[in-house]
Amino acid sequence: MRLDDDLRRRLSLARDLLEREHADTSLGQVARQAGVSPHHFIRLFEAAFGATPHRYRTGVRLARARRLLARGAPVTEVCLELGFSSLGSFSALFSRYVGEPPSRYQRRIRASVQVPADLARHFFPGCLSLLGALPRGAFRNFQEA
Amino acid sequence: MKIKLTSILVDDQDKALRFYTEVLGFETKHDIPMGEFRWITVISPEGRDDLELALEPNANPAAKAFQKAMFEQGIPVASFESSDLRAEADRLQRAGVVFTKPPTQAGPVLIAVFVDTCGNLLQLHQQT
Repeated sequence: MRLDDDLRRRLSLARDLLEREHADTSLGQVARQAGVSPHHFIRLFEAAFGATPHRYRTGVRLARARRLLARGAPVTEVCLELGFSSLGSFSALFSRYVGEPPSRYQRRIRASVQVPADLARHFFPGCLSLLGALPRGAFRNFQEA
Repeated sequence: MKIKLTSILVDDQDKALRFYTEVLGFETKHDIPMGEFRWITVISPEGRDDLELALEPNANPAAKAFQKAMFEQGIPVASFESSDLRAEADRLQRAGVVFTKPPTQAGPVLIAVFVDTCGNLLQLHQQT
């Protein structure tokens, strides 16, 4: 199969549309907005990006879920943030794609690597900035600091 | 100093490992879990086994922007050498790979460009 410049740009646009957060537009609408024939859209998209549009969109949503979970966000919050209607459907979908439920994924990832929720944006001179950025209990007593 | 490793940004490491091994025919050298992601490198059975290609996640928004721009502009992110490009391109096409440029003579080299399904265009070249 050949993918000419014009079709490649249209499919790129469709991919951008699918990546938008909280996208609830139908795949037919995405295809029309990108100027790709809805009839061939699924086949062309899969050939170019290795996943059907539906699967690609789900993958993008779940990648975001994984990122939020790795940063320590509670499962319920992630579920709501991504616009899932119920915790059950979110957990089931997550398990199917990732291979384990969100809570277990979070425990496993958090045990192996710490992803800061937000880096400290305040700047204090020297010693104070260290105290501000280090976690509580980093020093056993004040003298060590 | 030596050139030992280079990398390609991919939108999904599982999908990438499948494509680069099962479709392109490279072999997995390393596949090590690294928190949310994995350290994956592949080597070519036709080339040196100590020259590795890392399949790197495009999780950084800057990486994603770069990858998308290159794809939209039609620019390949890497070029692999083939000793029989036309046969290689035929084999890939039969495996369902999508080409943006069929085998084409470009001065002293024969080139072809195809989609890696992970957000990139790749080039094949052969000295003629």
